[in-house]
Amino acid sequence: MGIAISNLSVRYGAETVISGLSLDIPQGCFFTLLGPSGCGKTTLLRTIAGFAPASGGQIRFGGRDVTELPPHKRAIGMVFQDYALFPDKTVADNVAYGLRARGEKGGGVERKVKAALERVGLGHLLSRHPAALSGGQRQRVALARALVIKPTVLLMDEPLSNLDAKLRVQIRETIIELQREANITTVFVTHDQEEALSMSDLIGVMNKGKVEQLGTPQQIYATPRTGYVADFVGAANRTEVAVRPTAPGRVEVDVAGSRLLATDALEGPAEHGLLVLRPEDLKISSAPVAGLQSLPATIRGRQYLGARTSYSVECAGGLVLNAEMHGAGHDAFLPGAAVHLGFDPAAARVIRS
Amino acid sequence: MNPSALRSPWPWFSALALALLGVFVVYPLLYIFTASFFGDGGSGWVQLMHDGRSLAAIGNTLVLACVVTLCSTLIGVPLAYVSARFRFRGKLLITLLPLITLVIPEVVTAQTWLMILGNNGVITRFLKGHGIFLPSFYGWFGLITSMSFIYYTYVYIGTVAAIGKFDAQLEEAAQSLGTAPVRSRFHVMLPVIRPAILASALLVFTMVVGNFAISTILGHNVPLLSVAIYQAAVAEGASNLTMQSTLASTSVLIVMGLLFVNRRIIAGGRYEIVQGRGAKPQPLKGGQGVLVSAAAGVVVAISLLPLVTIAVGAFTVSRGPVMRWGEWTLDNVARVFITAPGPLVNSILYAGIATLISVAFSTLVSYLVVKKPNLVTPLIDYVSAIPLALSGTVLGVGLLASFNDGFLSLTGTSTIIVLAYVIRRMPFGMRNGQAILHNIPNSIEEASISLGSPPFRTFLRVVLPMMLPAVASAAILTWTTTVSELSASLLVYSGGRETLPIQIFRLIDSGLMAYASAYGLVLVAVILLPVVIATTVFKVDLFGSK
Repeated sequence: MGIAISNLSVRYGAETVISGLSLDIPQGCFFTLLGPSGCGKTTLLRTIAGFAPASGGQIRFGGRDVTELPPHKRAIGMVFQDYALFPDKTVADNVAYGLRARGEKGGGVERKVKAALERVGLGHLLSRHPAALSGGQRQRVALARALVIKPTVLLMDEPLSNLDAKLRVQIRETIIELQREANITTVFVTHDQEEALSMSDLIGVMNKGKVEQLGTPQQIYATPRTGYVADFVGAANRTEVAVRPTAPGRVEVDVAGSRLLATDALEGPAEHGLLVLRPEDLKISSAPVAGLQSLPATIRGRQYLGARTSYSVECAGGLVLNAEMHGAGHDAFLPGAAVHLGFDPAAARVIRS
Repeated sequence: MNPSALRSPWPWFSALALALLGVFVVYPLLYIFTASFFGDGGSGWVQLMHDGRSLAAIGNTLVLACVVTLCSTLIGVPLAYVSARFRFRGKLLITLLPLITLVIPEVVTAQTWLMILGNNGVITRFLKGHGIFLPSFYGWFGLITSMSFIYYTYVYIGTVAAIGKFDAQLEEAAQSLGTAPVRSRFHVMLPVIRPAILASALLVFTMVVGNFAISTILGHNVPLLSVAIYQAAVAEGASNLTMQSTLASTSVLIVMGLLFVNRRIIAGGRYEIVQGRGAKPQPLKGGQGVLVSAAAGVVVAISLLPLVTIAVGAFTVSRGPVMRWGEWTLDNVARVFITAPGPLVNSILYAGIATLISVAFSTLVSYLVVKKPNLVTPLIDYVSAIPLALSGTVLGVGLLASFNDGFLSLTGTSTIIVLAYVIRRMPFGMRNGQAILHNIPNSIEEASISLGSPPFRTFLRVVLPMMLPAVASAAILTWTTTVSELSASLLVYSGGRETLPIQIFRLIDSGLMAYASAYGLVLVAVILLPVVIATTVFKVDLFGSK
């Protein structure tokens, strides 16, 4: 079932962590709360779970108001950053715990536990204790434990951040598979944009207790609505510009002494805006390229990263932009070289500052 | 408070805990504070100023505490240093020291000193036979000797821990800069371990101030504070509530002042103690090794003396106060088990119940304080630490005065003895419980709740099993210390409710050392049995968590 949050506030003492937040997460959706630490994403997750009490507003699971319901009655499945396995219980007993709390007994429990652990590839570790498992195995057990009770919603609090990079990618896939299979509404909290972009149906980028932008991964990355979102999801060059409307959907802006065309994403009339340029949308060349508008610039520094090279480029008036080059000859430009920065007007978006 | 918060059981438990602590800890304390100001002869504090004997008791107590603290430090620190830094013959014995002080009740120690050096003591009589007359062991000489040889272990334990944590690279750095090894030790190591030494020295000071058993058995003509409190409380027909309250308040104020200083030192020490690689103990060979082994051996032998003496005394024939060494009998032991088993039964019963209550209460309350904080839990935390500032005598006086009649009359019951036990040992259970709970992440509990287990069941099914090893070791330590409790129970017990320490105390008072030895030996066995079973059968780590 879906999750509907309306006008939610959460306060700790005098401090307001979340105020007036509304959000609709459709049934079966993989929803990610993305943001830096302290933005309120974990608090929001814990309020959905019932561990942090709401000071105002409403939370509904599939139409049922759960705002005042204690967490153990909400039928949630929760996965924690530190796995939170019961150290004195075996893997099988950990997974059976929720079933037993629901009063289930006997062979049915055993069968379900075995099936759940086999599903995450750990059917052979039933009688181990958590201390004898690797980090990845622990998180798989935690996942099996949360899903075996067939919860109404699945809540995950940074479940991958204690794992190393390779395992992270593996477990990501496991999570997605299990989520699709169970078709369970999922709220996933992370500060890692790559995780958010690769796993989610919908992303809510959070900032200071508010959802700053809600959208599909493509929408969030390609059309950020605020400077904060643009900067947090993928690197972005941002600069304040004066704006003059031209054709519908197009504006004219002044950048580093040049007059250029950009896409209008201002959502209303404005005289100033924030020009957003993704580094990978900037093409460095020694001469202007036909079909692209271009800025004269000088290479100031570069970092060779194997598959790509990241350049720091200075334009007229001291404006410094980041540009990333891929493909053959991506490392061809050296510091001090005079170059041209080319980009398509569609890739240059002006948003409200 | 949020209305949904009141539906969980924890706020109610907090309220209940605070109410219990209020009635049984705060109320008695306030009662004696108030009683010290009002009385038949005016304020107790004015009376005190004109009471030469009481003033002398306070002065003597402070002098005694200073001297014993100094002696204990002079024995404890060097012993700690050699055992942390060197290897030598008999070192294993020194590491057993904590266990020794734990199992020998002070009343037994005092008794054995008397059996050896008292007026009828083995050595006294032997020397008298050769025309040598020792000074009387009663008084300053006996007090300082016997207390120093008990309390140095606290300095030893505290210092060993600090030296173990001391980063030996600091010392090496000092030597690399051209300082001689001995100098570098003094200049680099001493300042770093000083907070630990000071803290344990202060602990010794407070223990001397609160000491009752040795003070009263060996004090004789030296008036001391806790003895004065006890005498004011039990004086036949002339029990002086104002004076006993004033003296008890004085004791509380002294100890509170010292605990405050102690907190400051420990708070400062956090920044000073450099954690690092401890030095590897170096073997001591030749003359040096023999010397250190001998010195350490003497200290350990004196610590062990009580155990040997009562073991022999328990099976020795006696006529009144005179021991007939060399003549053996089972009569003394038979008395403990057959003729007069009351004290043994009472001790096991009261200490058993007190241990159960104390462990259950401190486990639940430390859970509240650490995991379910609300407006009142910090207050609960503070109040539950108050008994640290109350010596057994003060607590006994407080309970006796507060629950004599009125809304809760407990005088003459077994309940008040159990209550005294529980209150005295509660802070240790609390500290232990809180330490272990800080190591259990909140997410474990939340995982259980998210799986549908209600909060209280989560506590029972998930948190409690994880706390169990620590709770078991707390239970055993509580048992060992309650079984040997004397000073509070001596004030609140009534006829027929004697415990083993009380019985031993009374027998010593009558000079019946052989019987006292038999009860003492059984007491040590009662203390030791759970320790042995726990460490060997259940593999409980009693000292690791300290």
